[in-house]
Amino acid sequence: MRIANVIGRVTLSVRHHSFRGERLLVVLPWGPKTGATGKDHDYSVVAYDELGAGVGQLVTISESTEATRPFERPTPCDAYVATIVDDVFFQAENPHAV
Amino acid sequence: MRLARIRGYVTSTVKHPSFERCRLLIAQPVDLNDQPDGGPQVVLDPHGAALHEKVLICSDGSWARKYLEDERSPARWWVMGIVDPKPASESQPPSGSNSPAS
Repeated sequence: MRIANVIGRVTLSVRHHSFRGERLLVVLPWGPKTGATGKDHDYSVVAYDELGAGVGQLVTISESTEATRPFERPTPCDAYVATIVDDVFFQAENPHAV
Repeated sequence: MRLARIRGYVTSTVKHPSFERCRLLIAQPVDLNDQPDGGPQVVLDPHGAALHEKVLICSDGSWARKYLEDERSPARWWVMGIVDPKPASESQPPSGSNSPAS
């Protein structure tokens, strides 16, 4: 799962028949430098959200085939909001390294 | 499987039910020179890895679902093992060790 900042929403009228009442969020996953600098995110992805995350929140997204596991019926999905992050602790380097 | 360093953790109240009572660590994939290589992954921690420890992370979601005992879990990455610390005499990798073979 990757950590990602929620930056927007997508609404669709014409869509695959398995999607009903879903929320789709535009999220920016963290890149290798984002934890230290707050910048340089990876390219944005659209993620399926059942938890109710909002713009400005931090989430973790599950990707690839695991993103389809939570669904009861076959659903085309390759990014799924797995958790809404309350707090993140990140240290880019070990301050006690010898 | 990738080499990574544990660089932190996340806490979460609203989450998929399979992650209840579960430690979620942030693993930063690294190259042989210990430089970040790709975005950080949030991983399951079955072995109890420590902060800044070098670990091997695995993307086998099938085992992650077994570990969480939930076939509906979206979990994917988990800490497969903790890499032995290097002896001080080998702290510098040989030069060019991370370049692809030509």
